[in-house]
This record gives sequence, C-alpha cells and structure tokens, in this order.
Amino acid sequence: MDLSALLFYIATVVIVFITYNILTWGLNIQFGYAGIPNFTYITFWAAGAYFTGVTLLGPSSTQPGVHYILGLNMPFPVALIAGGLASALLGLVIGVVALGRLRSDYLAIVLFSSGFVIYDFVSSFQGLFNGLDGISGILPPFSDLLPLDQNGYLFFFILLSGVVMLLMWFVANRIYNSGLGRAMRAVREDADVAEAIGKSAFRIKLKALVIGSLFAGIAGGLTIAYVTAMNPSAWISSETFIVFAAMLLGGKANNVGSMVGAFLLPVLLVEGTRFLPQFSDNANLIPGLRVMFISIVLFLVLWFRPQGLVPEKRPFYQLAVRRAKPETTVAS
Amino acid sequence: VAQLIEALGFGLVTASVVALAAVGITLQFGVTNYVNFAYGSYLGLGAFVAWFINSALGVTFWLAVVGGALFTGIFSVVVSRLLLDRFARRNPPAVYMLMVTLGLWLFLSNLLLIVWGTEIRHYTVAADTPVKLGVLQLTVRQLIVMVVAVVVLLLIHLLLHSTKIGKQMRALSDDSALAQVSGVNTDYVVSVTWLISGCLVGLSGCTLALALSGFGPGFGDAFLFVIFSAVILGGIGQPYGAMLGALIVGFATELSGTYLNAAYKTDFAFLFLILTLFIRPQGLLASRGRH
Repeated sequence: MDLSALLFYIATVVIVFITYNILTWGLNIQFGYAGIPNFTYITFWAAGAYFTGVTLLGPSSTQPGVHYILGLNMPFPVALIAGGLASALLGLVIGVVALGRLRSDYLAIVLFSSGFVIYDFVSSFQGLFNGLDGISGILPPFSDLLPLDQNGYLFFFILLSGVVMLLMWFVANRIYNSGLGRAMRAVREDADVAEAIGKSAFRIKLKALVIGSLFAGIAGGLTIAYVTAMNPSAWISSETFIVFAAMLLGGKANNVGSMVGAFLLPVLLVEGTRFLPQFSDNANLIPGLRVMFISIVLFLVLWFRPQGLVPEKRPFYQLAVRRAKPETTVAS
Repeated sequence: VAQLIEALGFGLVTASVVALAAVGITLQFGVTNYVNFAYGSYLGLGAFVAWFINSALGVTFWLAVVGGALFTGIFSVVVSRLLLDRFARRNPPAVYMLMVTLGLWLFLSNLLLIVWGTEIRHYTVAADTPVKLGVLQLTVRQLIVMVVAVVVLLLIHLLLHSTKIGKQMRALSDDSALAQVSGVNTDYVVSVTWLISGCLVGLSGCTLALALSGFGPGFGDAFLFVIFSAVILGGIGQPYGAMLGALIVGFATELSGTYLNAAYKTDFAFLFLILTLFIRPQGLLASRGRH
C-alpha cells in the first residue's frame, strides 16, 4: 500500500467514524432517551442518503436507462438539509401510524416489518430511486468550486463532516438536558406516570422518533456525499443491528457512550477487519463471522453490563438521595 | 373467473404455509410472552436441513421433511435453554428480549449463509403433475402442502384439547401465575412449547420451499412478517385465531398479487397488520385480558 492509498484509507475510517457517531446519537435519542425499539433505523439513514443524492443530482433524463425522482441539481447544504428533512418526514409518518397505542413488542414488529416493506418497494419500484441498481455519479460536495488535489479534498471533507458532527453533538446533548429530554426519559421509564403529570407520551415519542430520524438522514446525506452512490444492498437489516449493538455496548442514553460504541464496533471491528487475508474460499465467511461476533458482543453486554461501557449519568435526584443518606443514618 | 379460482388455489397454499408457522409462533408467544425475531432463520434452517438429508444423505424426501422439522424443533429447544430462557428468567424490560432475539436472528442467518452460501437450492421431488380438485387447478406439490397443513393442524388441535401437556400449555398461556400455583412444571411446558413451535416453523419452511420451488438462505426473513400479520390478526396466543388469520392473509396476498401487482403482494399482508392494530389490536379471536 503506497502512501496516498494509506491516507485514503485513514480518511475513510475517520469519515465512517463521524457518520456513525451521528447515526448512533440519533438512535440513542429514539431508543436511549425515549425507549422506542426502532428496528428499521437504517431505513431512515437510507431515506436521507437517497434524498440528498437526488437533490444533488441533475434530472434523471440526462442518464439513459436511469430513473429517479427530483433531480434538482442543488448545492450540498440544501441537499443535506433535504435529506435530513425527508428522513424526519418518514419518521413522522411512521410515528403517527405506529406510536399511538402499541406496546413495545407490537411496535417492534410493525417497525421491523415496515422496513421490509419499504426495502421491497424501493427495490422493485424503478421510478423512485432506480430500483436495485440505485443512484450513482454524485459529484463530491464543493469539489467543482475548490482547486484541491485528492488529499486536500479528503481533508476538506473530513473538516466539513466534522463541523456537521459537532453541530449534531451539540443538539443531541442540548435535547438530553432540556425539558423535552427529561420528558423522553420519563416516558421511557413509565409512560403512565408521564401521562399522569400531563405529558402526552405519544407526542413525546413522536418528537424523539422525528428528531432521531433527522440525525439518521443527516448521517445518510454525509455518507452518500462521500461514497457518491447508493443502492439497496447498503441498507439491509443487519446494518440497523450494528448501530443498536454500538449504542448498547457504549451505553444507552449517553452520547459519549455512543461514540465509544461507534468506535469499537462499526469502525474498529468492521473497518479494521476489511483487509483481513482471505483465508478461505468461502466469500461469506468473514462478513458472516463479523455479524455473528457482533451478536455475541450484544448478548454479553445485555447479560453482564446492560448499562453499557459508559453508563447514563445518574439523575440529580439520585445523587441527592445518595448524599443525604449518611446524614439520615446518623440521625437515626 | 379462471383467474380468481387460480388465485384462490394459490391463496390456500400460502394460507397453509403461513398457518403452520403462525400456530407455532402464537403458541410460543402465548406461553413465553415475548416475540422471537429469529423465526425467519428457523424457516430457512428447516428447509435447508430437509434438503441436506434428502440430497446429500439420499433419504426419501418425505422422511427428510420430517427430519428437517424435528431438527428445527430440537434446535429451538436448545436455543431457548442456552440463551432465551436464561434472559427471560431475569424478567428484563420487553425491549431487551426483542434485542436478544434480533441478535439471535442475525447470528443464525449469518451462520446459515456461511454454511449454505448464496446458492439457490431445489427439492428434487417429482410432484409437478397438475391435479383437478373440484374447480381448483393445483399441482401435486401444492396439494401435498395443503394436506400436510390440515393434518398437522388437526394434530395440534388434539394436542391442545386432549392431552395433559396441551392443557398445561393453554393454562400457562392464559395465566402463568395461576398455572404455576396449580402445579404446572413451567420449565418443562416452556421447553415442549419451543419444541412444537420449532417443529411447526421448520415444517412451514419446508412447505414454503416446496411451494416456491427454489430457495436461498434468507428466503424466510421477509416471509416472517407475513406470518406475524396472521398471528396478530388472529390474536396473539390464539392458535385458532392464527389459522383464521393465515387464511385471510393467504387469500389477501394472492388475490392482491393477481389483481393488483405481484411484486407488492406481501406488502398487503403488512397493510392487514396495520389495519388490525388500529381497528382491533387484540386480534379477531382475543381472549380477555390480553391485548
């Protein structure tokens, strides 16, 4: 491997880390904050990627045999926001239908199934996002405006996605500490109690689903801008599972934990084993073992450390109770 | 009219395949009270083991199908003993059991993929001769699927109503605390339930593979939500509801496939799922106190 290939690999790993951070934070808002078992989370990532793609691309009539909607030829910031909003809108639609009164296992079945239905639909309906072939040929953002060589551009892209990541980090933490974030955690712990003090569990869960979907959409938009192509094989169910495993390993409802999880599983494990020597003729062996290993990690985490490596910070009142305890023992 | 009759015939076949798995899944859900997302892989496992026994070991096809179903049943007991029951005994929040079974599904589906490869397999059974059954035009293959389903479901009916273990299963499904204080050996009944549900889902996988004529390692995954639709439509924990749900979902998918668009026919099963959850979330045949 020569130096530029190595640089390219490192840059790719950094960008994967950045996008997975945003992706895991979004799921953390849905599942960690509000307890929604979104088993089709990757579909929202795909929605963001597709819509960012078709907003960036020109009309599909310019490419023979390729069909997709929109084709607006818009600049990247507009496209990224469009991707995020499209994903949030999908979250709103699914949320209005599913979040109303389903208990968690029914909700999980509905979300899981809706993922299959959407996957099926996007794959077979050519006119939407070009079916199984997907969309490709997306121009990297600002590459026509900046006089940069390949390495310079990589550096620029890392900077660009890093800025987006910082913004999302700020938003995710801001929500956690806000009234909305407290309401989400209250709904997660006991929806009836939250209702009893006047919070609509439905509206709060809907907000969590929509905001989390927005995060997924932004992550998808960044991914397609970097990879420049997108097709259904990129968003199979096991991708949702990897994000879940990363979030639970790192520690649910803790955004630092999500970063740790995103670093350990999607980056270190998946990207780190990408160039393992092919020690068998079975092409499915390494990718298969990778997912099986993640399953085992998940079982171990749920068994031995369900709170994750970096647990959620203790709420203030619990700290207060703890501090108060020695005094009460002295008093009694 | 010919088109309608053909669709009805296919509907009966799909309903048979769905009913086998749906009854098994609903029994397990009723007794253990959590959803297992790994059933998609159990469908694939049953079909694959039957294929292996038949093609690689050279055993008669029908014996191989029994082998596939039994293997899946025993496998299902082992998995529940090693993994699922242990987690369930800790009484975790419902979402944690969902995470565990989701992990199990991906573990098994990738294991199948490694062992099996992506190759599409076929059962070598000469059963494509057309038969006329009243107005219905079917192949022997399809007829067999239906007969198997009817016989097995009758056996399940007898099991639930005429045997001690069947009654214990129903008791545990209705009220587990009451069943326990009445002296039902919970661990034993739970294991028998997993055995039966595993056998039924494995058998359903074989019949699905037979009905489709070709199958790959993940062929059960997307079909699982068609089965879930039947389970929820019939009312969770209700074996007769699951049969009814399977009939409705089977006809609905095939009729919509014939008259609307074959590419989206399983999506109509999803539509049924959503409609049920809105209009009658407890399902068609719901028992009191469970919704």
